[in-house]
Amino acid sequence: MLEINNIVKQYASHKALDDVSMRIERGKIFGLLGPNGAGKTSLIRIITQITAPDKGEVIFNGKRLNSDHINQIGYLPEERGLYKKMEIGEQILYLSKLKGLSSAEATKRIKYWFEKLDMKDWWSKKVEDLSKGMQQKVQFVATVLHEPELIILDEPFSGFDPVNADIIKNEILELNKKGSTFIFSTHRMESVEELCDNIALINKSKKILDGSVKEIKQSYKNNTYWLSVTGNTSISVKDDLFKILSNEIQDDHQNLKIKVNSSHQINEVLSHVMQHGQIQKLEEVIPTMNDIFISKVKGENHE
Amino acid sequence: MNKILLIIQREYLTRVKKKSFIIMTFLTPLLIAGIYGLIGYFTYKGIKDTSDKIAVVSENSSLQDQLLSGGNISYSYFNGNLDKAKSALKENDFDYVLHIPEFNINKPTNIQLFGYKQASITLENRISRDLESLIKNQKLRLSGISQSQLDALSTDVDVEIIKIGDSGTEKGSSAGASAIIGGSIGIFMFIFIMLYGVQVMRGVIEEKTNRIIEVMISSVKPFQLMMGKIIGIGLVSLTQFLLWIILTTSLSGVAVGIFAEKNKAKPKVEMSSNPEVNAQIQAELDKSSANPVLDIQKSLSGIPMGKIVTLFLFYFLFGYLFYSALYAAIGSAVDNETETQQFMMPVMLPLFFSYFLSLTVVNNDPYGTLAYWLSIIPFTSPIAMAVRIPYGVPTWELALSMGLLILGFIFTTWLAGRIYRVGILMYGKKTTFKELYKWITYKS
Repeated sequence: MLEINNIVKQYASHKALDDVSMRIERGKIFGLLGPNGAGKTSLIRIITQITAPDKGEVIFNGKRLNSDHINQIGYLPEERGLYKKMEIGEQILYLSKLKGLSSAEATKRIKYWFEKLDMKDWWSKKVEDLSKGMQQKVQFVATVLHEPELIILDEPFSGFDPVNADIIKNEILELNKKGSTFIFSTHRMESVEELCDNIALINKSKKILDGSVKEIKQSYKNNTYWLSVTGNTSISVKDDLFKILSNEIQDDHQNLKIKVNSSHQINEVLSHVMQHGQIQKLEEVIPTMNDIFISKVKGENHE
Repeated sequence: MNKILLIIQREYLTRVKKKSFIIMTFLTPLLIAGIYGLIGYFTYKGIKDTSDKIAVVSENSSLQDQLLSGGNISYSYFNGNLDKAKSALKENDFDYVLHIPEFNINKPTNIQLFGYKQASITLENRISRDLESLIKNQKLRLSGISQSQLDALSTDVDVEIIKIGDSGTEKGSSAGASAIIGGSIGIFMFIFIMLYGVQVMRGVIEEKTNRIIEVMISSVKPFQLMMGKIIGIGLVSLTQFLLWIILTTSLSGVAVGIFAEKNKAKPKVEMSSNPEVNAQIQAELDKSSANPVLDIQKSLSGIPMGKIVTLFLFYFLFGYLFYSALYAAIGSAVDNETETQQFMMPVMLPLFFSYFLSLTVVNNDPYGTLAYWLSIIPFTSPIAMAVRIPYGVPTWELALSMGLLILGFIFTTWLAGRIYRVGILMYGKKTTFKELYKWITYKS
């Protein structure tokens, strides 16, 4: 649905995006990751047509991105903002009319969302009278009200308490089920694992990693396992077979974290360990997105 | 619906619905009408009440019973000597005692005015004028001219000022009225352009500090947002302006009506039965500066109000557009209002400049070189030309000035648009003029 091809964006003193390409598939939740100042916001601003790239192009549904696409994109910026002195209902109405909704249709949908998110009597309240979390809710409704095909959320959960964050998460999943595609920019890796199908990692203006979350995690496994064995007999280490990374002895069993040498299989390790005790549990360690993020970014920065 | 219309609508409605707008709109005409009414009241009161009563003690028999009361002064000849008159002055029977001793007609000296109050310069001038004319008449009589000849000598000359229009039409006009109208238009323009220009700037800063800007320009183009704001606020100013005009004229009309009636009423009683004399007296009353309310009303009839209002609206509208675009650019370049100072100067300067020069130079010499240039250059023309309009300006000058102002407006809007589109997304950076120049030259 969205193709980003060789985007370059140069600001006066630095390059914000350097030859960045990625594909975002319809109906997926796409995570755009990266440390602060990596260029995420610059990329989002190009997709939302706030700025234009110096080089490269963005293809939306097979067509070069143009002003007709504005109404099909919903954008929740990281820096939230609403008109402080304007009534909430009127404000959402205004923003969604700017996105091409008719007054009647917008009013109907606002009522639906207000009902759904427990905001029924908020219509004539003013933004300045709301708490930060409440303002976030208002802004979320304003972002999705025109039912855009592509919804871009920049740090959507910041400022929400856990209850409201959960409500919003469920709304995102529901909208996604109905067919909306999401771009999700965040630092919170746990929400990435929970929600995202695909990700791209940007660091220092360049894309350094992309693919489906599952595949990336699989490819970052490094033959590490949790192994639980009964008995507290010490296990002899065969150096060419495996290494013990950690060993925690409990009453009647010990928990080992082992790394299998790349030339061997886990089964060989098991048959070795069986001689020392009863195997209770074996689990492969799959790296978290957090680990991958940190190792990738750190590795890059050290080069 | 067109997005720019939506923006105009929002900018307009949120401002017009504000309590402060409604209060300002209805209170200001009341204030203006009140001030107008007070001026009228005091002028009227001044004519009637504050006439100085002067007791004349004349030791010069030829001047006995010759001084004639009129206007703000009433003479009465005192029966008795100076000392008696002075003690009567103490009793507050009259305001001053005028002592005219016996004197040489060729060299009158020792004429004195006694009073517990300091006599005003006007009063002093009036008395010496009255005496001079009496003495002159006396001299004329001495040289053998009879009283009837003397009476026949006095003629009343009134110079009527006729302005010849472009098409050769001749119309009566009044420099005084033109100056008053020009001056008030100048003040009005200045205040309105400043007031609403700053509102545009505040609006832009508000959107920037609220961070709603990012949501907005993911929906609309920066230029649309800027123009929508400028036009929306412009319409607010027009609304307020029209309401003020309607309310002020109706309220002032009432005030003027009341005092004009009162002023007319008194002289009418003293009119003689001769209709010809009546007409003369009436005409004189109308012309006399003793009745400024009627004077202004009469002069106004010689000024083409329709044309002035139309031109005024044009200059107001485009003057506002010209400057508000610059104000929008300033708003976009800063993070908060305190940072606006350095950029405000270059925008305020031409406004102040044209305002002060318009009220002084242009109003005194509306056809001079400086007035011409001020009313042609777009930075100063909204105010300078507006001040000149009541005096009458050649059509080609008007056309040139209007054309240049429209071009100027297109230029400032283009310039502001280029600064605006970069500025609104810049946070937390102190902007310099050098930087502004860079923004202007950025390609989009």
